[in-house]
Amino acid sequence: MNRLKNLPTLQIDPEKKISLRYKGKSYEGVQGDTIATLLYANGIRVFARSLKYHRPRGLYSLDGECSNTLMEVDGIPNVRCENTPAREGMNVKAQNVLGSADRDFMAFMDKMSRAMPAGFYYKIFHKPASVWPLVIKRIRKAAGLGKMSPDFDMPGAYDEIYPRADVCVVGGGPAGMCAALAAAEQGLRVILLEARPRLGGSYDYRCTQYHSVSGDRNMPLCQRARELAEQVEAHPCIRVFAHTFLTGVYGGHVLTAFQQGGEADHFTQRYVEIRTESMVAATGCTERPLLFENNEKPGVMQPGCAHRLARTWGLLPGKTAVFSIGHDAGIEAAIDLSDLGMEIPCVADVREDGQDPLLLAELEKRQIPFYRGWAALCAEGGKNLKKVCLSTLNGKHQKNFACDILAAAAGLSPLTGPLTLAGAGLKYDSHSGFFLPEDMPENIHAAGHLLGYEYPPAIESSGTLAGLWAAADCGVSVQNAVREISEEMAALPGPLRGSKFVCGPVSGKKTFICFDEDCTLKNTDQAMAEGFDVPELIKRFTSAGTGPGQGGIPGHNLPLYVALSQASPDSSPRPTTTRSPLTPPYLATYAGSSHDMSKRTPVHDFQAASGGRMERVGVWNRARRFSQNQSPKNKSDDATARREIENVRNNVGMLDASTLGKFRIFGQDALKALQRVYVSDMSRVSEGRMKYSAMCNEDGCVIDDGVVTKCGENDYYLTTSTGRAGMTAEWFRFHSRYEKWDYHIVNLTDAYGVINLAGPSARRVLEKITDADVSHGAFPFSAYREFSVQNVIPVRAMRLGFVGELSYEFHVPSSFMPSLWQILEEAGKEFGIQNFGLEAQSTMRMEKGHVILGSESEQRTTLHDIGLGFLWHRGKPEAKTVGASALAHTEKQKGRLKLVGFKTENPADGVPKDGAPIADDRIRGYVCTCRYSYSLKVTIGMALVEDELAAENTRLGIYTNDGFAGEAMPDSGEYMKYARVVPMPFYDPEGKRMKM
Amino acid sequence: MLKIQRQSPVSFAAEAIRTEEREHWNIVLEYEKEGEGPWLADMSHRPRWDVQDGNMASLSVFGNKVPEKPNSCIYCRGTLINRMNAAQASVWHMDGEPQKPAEKAYTDTADAGVFLALAGKQIFSIAEKLTDLDFLNPRQETPFLVQGPFSHVPCQIVVADRGETGESPFPAEKSGLILLSCSRGYAHDMVHAILDAGEEFGIRAAGEDKILNELRRIFSG
Repeated sequence: MNRLKNLPTLQIDPEKKISLRYKGKSYEGVQGDTIATLLYANGIRVFARSLKYHRPRGLYSLDGECSNTLMEVDGIPNVRCENTPAREGMNVKAQNVLGSADRDFMAFMDKMSRAMPAGFYYKIFHKPASVWPLVIKRIRKAAGLGKMSPDFDMPGAYDEIYPRADVCVVGGGPAGMCAALAAAEQGLRVILLEARPRLGGSYDYRCTQYHSVSGDRNMPLCQRARELAEQVEAHPCIRVFAHTFLTGVYGGHVLTAFQQGGEADHFTQRYVEIRTESMVAATGCTERPLLFENNEKPGVMQPGCAHRLARTWGLLPGKTAVFSIGHDAGIEAAIDLSDLGMEIPCVADVREDGQDPLLLAELEKRQIPFYRGWAALCAEGGKNLKKVCLSTLNGKHQKNFACDILAAAAGLSPLTGPLTLAGAGLKYDSHSGFFLPEDMPENIHAAGHLLGYEYPPAIESSGTLAGLWAAADCGVSVQNAVREISEEMAALPGPLRGSKFVCGPVSGKKTFICFDEDCTLKNTDQAMAEGFDVPELIKRFTSAGTGPGQGGIPGHNLPLYVALSQASPDSSPRPTTTRSPLTPPYLATYAGSSHDMSKRTPVHDFQAASGGRMERVGVWNRARRFSQNQSPKNKSDDATARREIENVRNNVGMLDASTLGKFRIFGQDALKALQRVYVSDMSRVSEGRMKYSAMCNEDGCVIDDGVVTKCGENDYYLTTSTGRAGMTAEWFRFHSRYEKWDYHIVNLTDAYGVINLAGPSARRVLEKITDADVSHGAFPFSAYREFSVQNVIPVRAMRLGFVGELSYEFHVPSSFMPSLWQILEEAGKEFGIQNFGLEAQSTMRMEKGHVILGSESEQRTTLHDIGLGFLWHRGKPEAKTVGASALAHTEKQKGRLKLVGFKTENPADGVPKDGAPIADDRIRGYVCTCRYSYSLKVTIGMALVEDELAAENTRLGIYTNDGFAGEAMPDSGEYMKYARVVPMPFYDPEGKRMKM
Repeated sequence: MLKIQRQSPVSFAAEAIRTEEREHWNIVLEYEKEGEGPWLADMSHRPRWDVQDGNMASLSVFGNKVPEKPNSCIYCRGTLINRMNAAQASVWHMDGEPQKPAEKAYTDTADAGVFLALAGKQIFSIAEKLTDLDFLNPRQETPFLVQGPFSHVPCQIVVADRGETGESPFPAEKSGLILLSCSRGYAHDMVHAILDAGEEFGIRAAGEDKILNELRRIFSG
C-alpha cells in the first residue's frame, strides 16, 4: 500500500524499512509502524478471531482498547499489536484460530450463538456437576485468547523504576502539557505520563486551525501540539515518560504504570511506580462505540482510528468510507480523509443539531451528504465490509451505501479510570452525557477534554488551572495565577452538549456491546430478563467488560443501554467499577529484574565449597547437609545426614549458626525490660553464666527461646531464634512502650558469626586454638567466657548442648569468622572434624528432646504444652511478664495439644513424614519431627497430640500416604503406621555427654 | 599458621591494582579501569558505631554534637554523624585515624553491616531503579540520612552530595555520592542488585581512594 507523503503529522520514516514475518511470509513496513499498521499497510484486514464465536476481527481503535488485534509475537501471546512498535524480524501469529485468521475452521461457532445465551455456563452445566469438568475442557479448547506453555521462557529485559515527583500529570495531550508546564513553572518536579509514543494527544494528528484566546496565534492543531511538546520537553522540571500506560492509582500518592521500551532502551517493558504529592488526570476522551448489527466486522473502525491511520502512518484505511458519528471530531475526520483522497459517500450524525456550523459548511463545500438524526443500522459483507445500511433513529427510513470502511462512533467517552482509581465517584452528567467525577479526593485534579471541553483554548486553560491547583497542593502560593486563569476560562466556551445515543432499532443478535467477550445487546437483554438490574451485575453475568480491554469498549455504553432499557423512574445511568490494571502489562514486567534478596553468612562460600547443599531458610541461605561424595561421577547425597551425625556423636563437628539472633541490651532499666519479655527470673542472670529462657506472647504461647548473659553492669548479651531476630527489638520496645525506662537495644545478628563446635573431641580442638583455660572446671556447662584466638580474634564463647554433646558456641565478629572457621578446620583435622548442617542438627537435638520453636510448636502452643513450663518464674508479678496471666490460666487446661516423644513400633514401616496426622477415628494431633536415629537404631519423633493421648505407652496411629509400608487402610491406597509414646530425652537422658 | 584477616562481605570481579593492609583488613585503594563513573565502592572496613542514649543532646561524639533533628547529618574531621531518632545515632568513620570510644552508649557495628558507596554521575538513576526513597528532595540539604528499603532491604543511606550537571531536578542530570549500609548478610545480593541496575550506566568498582577523594572534595569547605 502506498503511503501518504509530506504530511506534517506523520510519525514514520519511509526511508527506513523494517520487515516481520506473518503466516510464513515476510511483510515490509517502515520505521514508526506498529505491528498492526505494518500488517494493515500490507493488506491484512483480519487480525484475530473473537473469543467465543470466532468472528473475524480487524483494526478498530489503534489504542488497544479491545482484543481485536491481540496476536502472538515472538512466542508471547496477547501482544497488543495496535500499540506495539514493529521491530525487524518479529514473528507474528494469529491466535485462537484453527487454521488462520482469514480461514478459521472454528468459525462455525458463530452459528451456534443461540446455544450460548448469557450465563449459559452457569446454568446449563450446573447439574449434573460431574459433566462440568468434561465440558470446561472443551470450552476452553474452543474459546480463549493466546496460549502459553507453563515453562515458556519470556524473551526480553524487564526492569523497574521508582521515580519521585511533586506533581504527576497523566496524559500528554494539550491539557496535560499545559498542566505540567504550569506546575513546573513553580519549580516543582513534574512527571508527565503519555500512553502514545509522543506527546500531542488529540492535537497531534489534526490540521484544524488553532486560534489562541488573544487571537494572535493561529496555526494547525498539530503544529500547536509540537509547540507545546517542545516547551514541555525542554523544561528542566518536567520528566516525560512516553509510551507509558497507567495501571493503577493508590491513595492518590502512588501511581503505577508500565513503559514500553524503544530501540535505544535497555528494557522491553518496565514497571514504573511514582510517588507524588498531587496528580492531574488529563487523559482526554476515547470514542464511544456505536452499536449496530455487525458493528465489529473488519472495516468498521472508530473515526479517530481512520483519521490517525492516515495522518500518523500515512495509510488511507480504504477507498470508500461511510461515517456514522455523534461528535464533531467525526465530521472533522470525514472532511480530512476526503481531502486526503478517500471517497466519503455520506456522513450520518445521530445528533439532530449542535454540530459546528463551520464543519457542516466544509462538508457542503465538498458535496458530502450530511444526514442529521441518522445512524448505522447494519454492516454487511463477508470477512470484509461491503456495504452499510443507515437509518433514521426510529428506523422508519433506511438507505444502503457501498463502502469498505465504516467509521462509526456514537459520541465521546471520557477516560476517567485514573480518577476512579484515586477514589473519585462518578456521576452521570446529562449535559455532556459523560460520567464525570464528583467529590474529588484531595490532591487529585482533572482537566481538559475528559471534562467535556472541546474548544482548544478552553482545554489548555483547564489544564493550566489544574496544574496550578496541583502546585498549591505542594505548598506553592498560586492564588493570583489561579484567579487570572479562572477569569480567562469563564469567558471561554464550556463543555459541549454530548450525544447520548447508543443504538438504533436493532435485533441485537450480532450487535456487540463488548468485543472482547463476544457479548451482544441480546445477551444484555437476557441478563436483564434474568433479573440483573444494575450494570455491575449484568457485567458479571454476561462478562461484558471483563476482557483484556478492561471495559474500554463497553464501559460507557453498558450503563447507558441498561438505563434506557429499564422501565424505571430512576433512569440515571450508573457506571461499572474500574479496577487496576487499567492497561495490563506483561507479568514479566511486574516481576521486574527479580533480585531475590537473601542473606548469606560469613562462611557461606566455605560451606558451599565443602559440598554444602544451601537452602533458603527464612531470609538466610543455610547448609541443609553436606554431600557425602563430591566426585563428579558419584555425587551421592544422603538426605538423612547420617555421616555428619555419626561424626558429631563420635568425633567432632562444626556448624555455622551465624543466623541466630544476637542482641545487646543495656541501660539502667535493661533488667526491667528483660523481666518483662522473658518468662524466667532474669535477675538471676549473672556474669560468666548463660541462662536459657523463653518469651511468650500475651496468650501464653511460646514465641521464642534463647540464652542471656550479663556482660557488665546493666549490660546484657542475648540470643534469639533465627526466625525471630528481625522482630525482637520491636518486641521489647512494644512491651515497654508505656514505661519511661532507660534502656537500649542493638541488633547484632549480622555483627557476629557463630560456630557451633560439638562432639566428644570439641574441647581438644578448642585447646589447640586458645591459651585460655577451657577445661571442664574452668569452663563448665552453661558458662560464658571471653578469650582471644591467636591474640587477635575476640571470641565470646558459650558452653551449651543443643545437640546433646560436649559443645561450644563461638561468637566472633563476622569479618573474623572466615579466619576462625579455617583455624578450627585445621585444628580439628586430627580429630576428624567435619561440617554438619541443619538436618544433622535437627536429628541430634530431637534425639536429645530439645525443641525448635516452629517445628515443635505452632501459634496456639503454650510454654506448658511443650514441657517448658519450668522456665516460668511465678514469683514475678503477673502483669509484669508478657503472657504470665495466660500461662496461669492454661497450665492445667484440658483439651490442649501436648508435646510427646514417640517410637515407632515397626522400624521396617519407614519414617513418617513431618506433619503427618495422628488419627484414630478422627485427627488427634500431628507429627512435628520424626527421624531414624542412627545413634539409637530406632525411629523416633516428637508429636503434638491431644492431652489424653500424652500418657506414656499410648499407641498412636500415624496416617500416611507416602507409599511406605504400614497397615493398609481398607479400600484406599493409604496406610497407618503405629508408634508408642515414650519419655524424652531419647538420647543420653542424664545429660552426661554434654556435661563431660 | 594461617594469617588472620578480616574479610569484607563484598568482593568485586575487578582487578585490584593498589591495596593496603590495615587492622587485619586488606583494603583495595584502586581497581583497574575504574573509568569515569558511576562507581560502587566497598567501605565495609570503615569503623562504625551505633550510639544510643536517652539524652542525645548532651552526648558528644568525638567532640561533636549529634545533629538535633532526626535524619540530619554532620560531617566533621572525617566522621559522619547521622541522627536516626530521638535516642539513636549512627557514627561512620570515613577518613583519617579512627578513635575508639569507650562510653557505654557506643556499640561497634562495623561488622553488623555492609557499607557501600555509590559515587559519580547517574547514581541517582541507578538508585531510582532500586528504591522509591527520595534522594533528590530539594527541601532537604545534603548531607542527610534516609532510612528505608533499598532493593527491598532496610538500609541507612546518607546522601552526601548531589552535585548538579544540569538544571533538571531529576536523576539523569545529577551526580553525587551516596553512602549505604544494610545488614551484612545482604551484601552479596545488594552488590549484585546495584551492579545489575547500574549496568546500563556503565557502573564500575572503585577503590577506597576514589570515595575518600570525593568526600574530601565535597566537605573541603
